[in-house]
Amino acid sequence: MPVHLSKPVELLIDILNSPPVKNQAYLDPGSGSFIIQVLIASLVGIGFALRGYWGKFLGLFQKKANEEDTGKADETSDEE
Amino acid sequence: MKNNQKLPASFRDPSGFLFFQEDILYRQVNLVYQENFDRLVESGLYEHLVNSGKLISHKETELPPPEPETAYKVIQPKQLSFISYPYEWSFSQLKDAALLTLGIQKRALQHGMSLKDSSAYNVQFPPEDAKPVLIDTLSFEVYREGSPWVAYRQFCQHFLAPLALMCFTDERLSQLLRVYIDGIPLDLAGSILPRRTKFNFGLLTHIHLHAAAQKRYAAEDVGKAVQTRTMSKTSLLGLIDSLERTTQKLEWSPASTEWGDYYEDTNYTPHAAKHKKELVESCIDQVKPQMVWDLGGNVGVFSRLASQKGIPTIAFDIDTAAVEKNYLDIKANEESHLLPLVLDLTNPSPDIGWHNLERRSLPSRSTPDLIMALALVHHLAISNNVPLKMIAEYFSSLAPWLIIEFIPKSDSQVQRLLATREDIFPNYSFAGLEEAFGNYYKVIASEDIKDSQRRMYLMKKK
Repeated sequence: MPVHLSKPVELLIDILNSPPVKNQAYLDPGSGSFIIQVLIASLVGIGFALRGYWGKFLGLFQKKANEEDTGKADETSDEE
Repeated sequence: MKNNQKLPASFRDPSGFLFFQEDILYRQVNLVYQENFDRLVESGLYEHLVNSGKLISHKETELPPPEPETAYKVIQPKQLSFISYPYEWSFSQLKDAALLTLGIQKRALQHGMSLKDSSAYNVQFPPEDAKPVLIDTLSFEVYREGSPWVAYRQFCQHFLAPLALMCFTDERLSQLLRVYIDGIPLDLAGSILPRRTKFNFGLLTHIHLHAAAQKRYAAEDVGKAVQTRTMSKTSLLGLIDSLERTTQKLEWSPASTEWGDYYEDTNYTPHAAKHKKELVESCIDQVKPQMVWDLGGNVGVFSRLASQKGIPTIAFDIDTAAVEKNYLDIKANEESHLLPLVLDLTNPSPDIGWHNLERRSLPSRSTPDLIMALALVHHLAISNNVPLKMIAEYFSSLAPWLIIEFIPKSDSQVQRLLATREDIFPNYSFAGLEEAFGNYYKVIASEDIKDSQRRMYLMKKK
């Protein structure tokens, strides 16, 4: 569990300390577009990652509920 | 076009170029693109996208490359029967093209690649299935961890800005794409969009703040900052997700327009409508065209008489609402061979871009065998003062066959057009039409439409 809690922090560190990359594309990304993109992506990236973790968290319960349902179904079929 | 001559629009990307050889379109892939091309194929991305109908397929050929010193391969993309441009699409067509681009970018990242451009001109709607498809095989590059999306600005200008303007201001603003060939400048879009769009997180960030950042850093030397700032893959995925959510939420419902409800507001009796369909169908069967253009096709009622026979058909109309309805119907019913497009016949798409050759005029792209001009001539002749002879001249320059319906002055639809203006059209009559069109065409058949005052003609170019 502590490992899961530290992941968003790791992500934030990752976002802030990503290594420099040289761009070789033929399109000019535009200075302002480039800077605002990094800022927006950092912001929405955190939300995107948290949504992913939340989905996985809910998935655990869903999995458990499904297993219980399957168990009940199995029990029912056993009874039959 | 001469053999091995580059397509005029194929010059910006050094990865390769398109050329014709014996009327077949080929693409030279350059050596500088070798790593990316190989990764596209070897990663399974090409196969996945082609199988899902999102990327145009190609086959590798042994054709000698036009520029052998820079060549890696020559490929032959699947040929399209018609090329359309974003300023000819309705709202949902542009939206679907945007979502296709973002969906491809998400899939590419799963395969360790990224789109290096996001031009709306890289998406086409082949008339055969009318679904959007990416046609630029060389749009992919190997994704380097930390790279931002180099095509972000282009996506916002080519897709998000016009969609937002169509959605929140006026759908006719899609025509700005005809003026601004690399997409609508974001400061312009931001100044036209209503203030309430600043309370929409996606539009606030990707258009308004984006435009402000462009202005803020336009005159500053930020080269070092740009080279050292990077973003993680999660951030990049978050950015694509944000663009996708913003695009998904944009909706446009056409209000009732002058012609949007045309087929519910005609003066045809059921008997006349049935007879008109029979006449059109009979003409199509007689001509057996390879491609049909239905000019003023509205929501495509008569276009479908051709498309349902498997004939690629383009239904042009000036009314964006009619084109939108037609496109949504095609999608809902999974129809094929019919492509609706927005076109003002009195000002059709011209040659634009570099050297006036980059985006071609309508007849420069392709021409059909058969034109249908049903209940159209009175709009051109009376609403737009185009002389009948000039209409005949233009139509005859487009196709060898013509199905034309003439509506006389006594008809209520023409009466409506003449109600507010002086009748300065003494030659607008059956005799006047036959004389004017007789300069260019031979009448093959003509018949009065039952229960109406209208007449249908089948004409062949002299």
